[in-house]
Amino acid sequence: MSSDNPFRAGLETERAPAPCVFVIFGASGDLTRRKLLPALYNLAVSRLLPPGMSIVGFALTEQSEDEFRKAMHDGIAEFSRRKPVDEAVWSDFASRLHYVSGRFEDQTSFTRLRAKLDELDTKNGTRGNRIYYLAVPPSAFGLVNDNLARAGMVHDPDDAAKYSRIIIEKPFGRDLASGDALNAELHRVLHERQIFRIDHYLGKETVQNLVAMRFGNAIFEPIWNRNHIDHVQITVAEDIGVEGRGKFYEEAGTTRDIVQNHLLQLLMVMAMEPPVAFTADEVRDEKVKVLRSLKPIRGEDVAALTVRGQYGPGNFAGKPVPGYRQEPNVSPASVVETFVAMRVEIDNWRFAGVPIYIRAGKRLTKRITEISVHFKQVPHALLAQQGPVEPDVLAIRIQPDEGIGLRFVAKVPGPSMTLRPVTMDFRYGSTFGGSGPEAYERLILDAMLGDPTLFARADEVNAAWRFITPILEGWAAAPAPELPNYAAGTWGPGAATALIEREGRSWRRL
Amino acid sequence: MSLAVDQVERELARLWEDEAKKSGTARVELLTLVALVSEPGLLQRAQGVITEVVRKVPSRTIVAVWKDGPRPAITAEVALHKAPGGAACGDAITLEAIGDAREWLPGNADRLALSDLPVCIWWVGDLPDHDDLFDRMVLNADVVIVNSQEMDLRDLEKLASIATRGGGRYAIADLAWARLRWVQDLVARFFDDEQARAHLAGLQRIEIDFSPRDGEKDATSTLCGLLFGWLAHVLKLPTEAPRWRRDETWAEVTLGEVVTRFEQRPQEGVRSGGLVRLSLVCNEARFELRRMEDPQAFHWSREAPDLQALAQVFRVLSLDEPTLLLRCLERPKRDPLLERSLDVAQRIVRSVAPRLSSLPPA
Repeated sequence: MSSDNPFRAGLETERAPAPCVFVIFGASGDLTRRKLLPALYNLAVSRLLPPGMSIVGFALTEQSEDEFRKAMHDGIAEFSRRKPVDEAVWSDFASRLHYVSGRFEDQTSFTRLRAKLDELDTKNGTRGNRIYYLAVPPSAFGLVNDNLARAGMVHDPDDAAKYSRIIIEKPFGRDLASGDALNAELHRVLHERQIFRIDHYLGKETVQNLVAMRFGNAIFEPIWNRNHIDHVQITVAEDIGVEGRGKFYEEAGTTRDIVQNHLLQLLMVMAMEPPVAFTADEVRDEKVKVLRSLKPIRGEDVAALTVRGQYGPGNFAGKPVPGYRQEPNVSPASVVETFVAMRVEIDNWRFAGVPIYIRAGKRLTKRITEISVHFKQVPHALLAQQGPVEPDVLAIRIQPDEGIGLRFVAKVPGPSMTLRPVTMDFRYGSTFGGSGPEAYERLILDAMLGDPTLFARADEVNAAWRFITPILEGWAAAPAPELPNYAAGTWGPGAATALIEREGRSWRRL
Repeated sequence: MSLAVDQVERELARLWEDEAKKSGTARVELLTLVALVSEPGLLQRAQGVITEVVRKVPSRTIVAVWKDGPRPAITAEVALHKAPGGAACGDAITLEAIGDAREWLPGNADRLALSDLPVCIWWVGDLPDHDDLFDRMVLNADVVIVNSQEMDLRDLEKLASIATRGGGRYAIADLAWARLRWVQDLVARFFDDEQARAHLAGLQRIEIDFSPRDGEKDATSTLCGLLFGWLAHVLKLPTEAPRWRRDETWAEVTLGEVVTRFEQRPQEGVRSGGLVRLSLVCNEARFELRRMEDPQAFHWSREAPDLQALAQVFRVLSLDEPTLLLRCLERPKRDPLLERSLDVAQRIVRSVAPRLSSLPPA
C-alpha cells in the first residue's frame, strides 16, 4: 500500500505500515514491560508507527487504562534503549495505549475486546487491521486463537482490505509431535502467512549482516564450501544462570531453549544457498533446505556426537554462584541440561564432510555468540619454518561487540621468515557509530508491514524438531551422565573439549 | 609545530608508534575527510565538528585554511584525534595555504588522502561567487558535503550544477537535506493511504512558513526552497514557467494550477531558514505540519471528510552539525532524490535568485 505513495520514493522509510491495532495478550507479563512496549515506544520515537495505530493490552489483571499506562511508562523508563523517556513522545504514545481486562478462556472477554477494537477502528481509522501478539504460554495459544475466531476477530487471509496477523514466541513445541500439533492448532484458525513466529536472533543486525556479507561480497562465496572450509564452530554462550526461570528451564533445557531455535537459525543463515531473491519465501526455502540436509543424529550416534552438561557451583565475576540444582524451582536431582555441544554435518553439495561444532550453555565463562569459519591449511608448507602455519579464521561476532574479524598470518618484521597470526577487525559500533534498533523493533515493524522474511515458517520449525527430537529421545533412553559436570564460570564439561579434540581441532578461544 | 607537507606521513607514523607503545591502540581509519574552511572565523567551529565526527568514524581529517601573504607556501600541522577515553582515533592534519599557494591545496590534499578509502570534501560556509577551488577539489572526491542552509537561495543553482557535472563520479550530500529527512517522512505519512492520496488530484495551494534570517532578502530560505524542490518533483509540478509575485515578507510562485506561498514567520528557538509550517491545501482536504510553541514539537494533522483525521504530535530531535555530517558520511553514495530535488528547486527559484556569475555583466 505505502509503496504506491510517491512521497516515499527514495526515502529511508520507503515502506510504511498501514494503521492497525496491536493487541498484546498477556500484557501484564514481563515480556510486555521489558521488550514489547520499549520496542513500540522506540518505533514511535523513530516515527515508524503509523498514524492512528493503537496498542491494546489484554490480561487477567484488573487495572484501569491509567494504571496500565503508568506500568508501561515505568517499563519503558527502565528498559528502553533510549533514556530518559521523551515526555512529548510519551504523551502522544500513551494516548494510543488501551487496556482490556479478561480471561483467555472466557468468550465474553473477547466480545468486549472486539467492541473495544471496533471502537478504535471508528475513531482512528485502523480499518480492521489487527496484530495479535501472544505473550502467553504456548498452552494458551489454541485457546486464544479459537476465541479470536469465535469472536470474528480473524479476517480472511485473502481479504485485501484488512489483515489479521498473529505473533507468537517460542517455544514452538517440545518435540516433533508437539511442534506439529501446535502448528496444526494454529492452522485450524489461521493461514500460515498470518502467523509470525518470532526468533529474536533473526532481528539482530549482525545476523542480517551475515546475509549481507555472504551475498553482498564477491570474495567470500567462492570459498564458502567444503573445498576451502575445514570446519565451522557456532557458540551461544551465556554467563548468567537460569535467573529465576528454574521452573521453565526444568521443562526446557538448553537444547529446547537455545539449540532448536536460535542456534539452528544461525546455522541456517551461515550455510544456506543464495536465495533467488531476498523475499520471505525464497529466503526461508533456502534456510529450510539446510535443516533438511542435516545428517540425523540418532541411536548410538547420540552418545558419540553430542555432549550434555549441567553447571555446578562456581563463580561469576569473582563471586560464588550456586549450581543449577541449587537454583529456585529446580529439582535437587535434576538431569536437565544447561550445556549442549554437538558435532553436526550438512549433507549437501556445498558442505558435505565439513564438521560443524555447536555449543550453547549457561553459566559459561563469558557471554558471547559467534560463528567462526575455520579455513583449511595451506596445501604446501612452504613457509613452515617454525611449525605449521595457523589456518585462517573468519569470525562473525553476533553479540556483544558485533562485528567480523579475519585472522590470517603475516610475516614478523625481521631477517627470518617468521609468521604470526594477525587480525583484521570490523566492528559495527566503531564503523557505524551508536546502536541500531533492538531486534524486537525490527521484527514488530516487519510484522506490521506483513514481511515474514525474518520469522520462522512452519516447515522450518518442523524440520528443526525433526533433527532435535531423536537426540532428545536418545538422551532419554540412555542413563544421564554424572551431573553436574562443569563448574559455573567455565567453558563447559571436559567431554565437550574431547568432542572436538579427538578430531585434532580445538574450540576457538573466545 | 609547522611541517612541510612531505613530512606529514612520517610524523603521523611516529605519533601512532608512540600511541601504540602507550596504549596499544591500533591505527584504524575509514575515510579521509577534507574540510575546506571558507572563512577564518569558521575554523574553530569546523574543528569542533570534526573532533566529534572522528570519535564515531575514525578518519584522517585534513582541514584546509588560507590567508593572504606575499610568499606562497603551504605548511602542515599534525596531531592525533582523541576519543573521550584518550585513545587515538584518527589523524588530524591542518594545512595552511598562504597567498597563491591556495591554488596548490587540491594537489596536496590529494597527496595526503588515504589510499583506497573514500575521500569526503566538506565545504564549510557559504559558496563564493567567483572561486574555482571548490570545483577543483571535488574532482578527486567520492562525496561532496555542503550545508545549503548556510548559503543563499541563488546557490542552489551552483549546487545543482556541481551535482550534474559530477556525472556520477562523486555523490553530493547536504547537511540541510539530512535535516529535511524527518519533514519528508512526516509529509509522506500524510499519504500512506489511498484515500489521502486521492486528494492530491485537487491540490490547489502549498503554504510554507519559515523562520527568516536577519534582513532576509530571499523569497524563501534555501532549506525551504529545497523542500519545495522535493515537493514539486514528487508532485510533478511543471517548472518550465514559474510565475512569481512577492512582497517584503512573502512570495508566491505559481506552477501550473498550484500556487505556493512562502511566508516569513519568525519563531524563537528555530534556526534561520527553518520550517515553521507546511500546508498542502486540496479541494476538500488540508494536510498540515506545524511547529508548536516548543520548537522541537510538531503538530501533524489531516482534515478531510473521508479521512479519520488523527492529529498527532511528533518530537523532532534537534540535529547538531556533527550528527548531520555523520549522516552524510553514513551513506557515501549518490542520492538521486537530492540531485533531482536540487535541480527542480533551482529551476523554480532561478528567476528570483540568479547567481551573480550567471547574470549579464553590468
